[in-house]
Amino acid sequence: MTMTRRGLTLGGAGLAAASLSVPLATPALAQSEPIKIGWLAALTGPSSAPAIGFNRGVLYAAEALNAAGGVKGRKVEIITRDTQGDPTKAVNATQEMISQLRVHAIWGPTNSGESLAVTAIMARGKMPNIHPCVVDSLIDPTRYPNAFRIAPSNTQWDDAVRAYTLNIAKAKKVAVVGDTTGYGVSAANASAAALQKDGAEVVYKANIDATQPDMTPDMLRARNAGAQAIVIWSVSTGMIARMLNTRATMGWDVPFIGHPSLASGEIGTLIDKPANWEKVYAIGYKNCSYDASGKLPPRNEELLARLRGKINLQDTLLWWVACGIDAVNLVAKAVETGGSSTNESIIREWNALKNYPGYFGDYSYSATDHNGFPVSDIVMSAASTGKNGTFALAPGYG
Amino acid sequence: MLASILASGLAVGAVYALIGITYNTMYSTSRVMSFTAGQLGMLGGVFGSLFMLRLGVPLVPALLLTMAACALVGVITEFIAVRPVLKSLDQHLYVLSTLAVALLIQHLTALEWSTEPQPFPRLLAMGSGVWDEKYWLPVAACAVTIIGLEYLYRHTLVGRAFVAIAEDNFAARALGLPERNLRIASYAMAGAVGALAGFSGGQLLLAFFANGPLLNFYGFIPVALGGLGNNRGAVIGGILLGLFQQAANFTVGGIFSSVAVFTLFIIVLLLRPQGMFGMPTARRV
Repeated sequence: MTMTRRGLTLGGAGLAAASLSVPLATPALAQSEPIKIGWLAALTGPSSAPAIGFNRGVLYAAEALNAAGGVKGRKVEIITRDTQGDPTKAVNATQEMISQLRVHAIWGPTNSGESLAVTAIMARGKMPNIHPCVVDSLIDPTRYPNAFRIAPSNTQWDDAVRAYTLNIAKAKKVAVVGDTTGYGVSAANASAAALQKDGAEVVYKANIDATQPDMTPDMLRARNAGAQAIVIWSVSTGMIARMLNTRATMGWDVPFIGHPSLASGEIGTLIDKPANWEKVYAIGYKNCSYDASGKLPPRNEELLARLRGKINLQDTLLWWVACGIDAVNLVAKAVETGGSSTNESIIREWNALKNYPGYFGDYSYSATDHNGFPVSDIVMSAASTGKNGTFALAPGYG
Repeated sequence: MLASILASGLAVGAVYALIGITYNTMYSTSRVMSFTAGQLGMLGGVFGSLFMLRLGVPLVPALLLTMAACALVGVITEFIAVRPVLKSLDQHLYVLSTLAVALLIQHLTALEWSTEPQPFPRLLAMGSGVWDEKYWLPVAACAVTIIGLEYLYRHTLVGRAFVAIAEDNFAARALGLPERNLRIASYAMAGAVGALAGFSGGQLLLAFFANGPLLNFYGFIPVALGGLGNNRGAVIGGILLGLFQQAANFTVGGIFSSVAVFTLFIIVLLLRPQGMFGMPTARRV
């Protein structure tokens, strides 16, 4: 039999038509392969503390899921890349995860600088991404329909601080202080504008160089202006500790309210005496704050009992660990309910998520809102009360 | 308020002055402006905190160890960043080499020490309010240093050899002075002075890796104001700078005070390019 060119063409066309008319069977491999979660973690370098805490939760959650038989029989595999807090390394790791490792979802990065660098890349790759970064612009369902936030945004932090300052601390004359970093300047400006909009009088606003050795000038000006509370937007523990020491030297008992750094353990080593850390209220989270009887909400009391002896909470924060657990569980939940680990399926399931009871917060997303953390779960903590990575609720919460 | 301005102004001014002296000491024997001066001050605070708080060394041995460690850093600087570029001073390669070493020191400190400010111990537990030791210790350290240097330069053979090298390098060498050894010694001495700045000002500045660039900038101003190589000028320039900066802090606020400081600096240099106490250099024709 001789094969003509026309015969070959017709035969090829026939084969192609036959293959299109019968749906391709899903390869068995996809049903049994592990659910691969890429984990972009700044595990070393200057901003590694949060990622180290998140990582403990991530590994714990993956182990727990796998010990229970996985997700519909599929194991969860965490593929970690240490970005060292460097946006360039985060970009390279993201490319690798999308193109070579072919992960099903990415958790992280854990700081906004890295996230700003990789968000667009993940959007182009339609990669389901969940992260805890606070910069507002990182979440935009139109531009980045694949990106979901699992922690509060800057605006949500600001809302919570303002609500506590005005409604619980009952301060009407407020001083707003940031450091001279881009974050400090923008956060202080936004905070002052929102306070004024809500009827407060911003009697003093300043951006202080974090290395300024003496805080007396700014504290004196704030006191002379009649400030009843000082709202702080800075990650500089040195600056905050100097301000607290100066407040004590001045014999002034004005409350400090603001950024979570107010509760950083570093401040405890820098203040002249423990009393200088009183009346300082840092952003905290309801599920990770204990009440007057020393108890966390029941769900997290139970988590704490399970973590005891397995995860060290002495040198980290419970919310970091809880958030890491929730991130892995949210991916697993999407695969379980959607029955698939394709990008489209995971994103569709997250868009439909309502009041998912996590350990860090109760998350809800929709197609138009990817800020899933409820502002009602943000509370103020008494900054000096750190215990097992948790804090006491600030006074004023029923 | 005046008392606070005077106390903190004199204190930070004294620290700036000591960093200015560090610049001058290195410059005098090498004609190199070494931008490691601020890092030596930063290391004074870090080593002080390391020896006293982490290792539990008592005050006097801790101070001596800190000065020795910074002197060693000074000597290393001379070997790797100064000596190789001495033959081409007119190309100002030392700017690059000393800045590179300064960055190296800063990054190593960040990696091995901490990126967060660390506490510095109370040294003598004396005084409170504006008389707190954190305000007067840098002033006392500055006074001791300037008196010690004056004594060294005027009344000792080694000191006179330093002056001779500073005055005329070639003539000093022709007289048989060991120019290279004296230069190494001057870098060790600069390290010790920088260490004293950071150690005495540690309670104000804390043990923080980011203090290096700050001290580099603000320590350079007294040198420019007081005249290059003029220690007395650096002390007066440093104290005036500290007082002016703190007065500006109290009156116009932190960010604007930096603007005020640099505006004044530029005005002074426009009026007296050789510095307030420097002499115009005569050029042979």
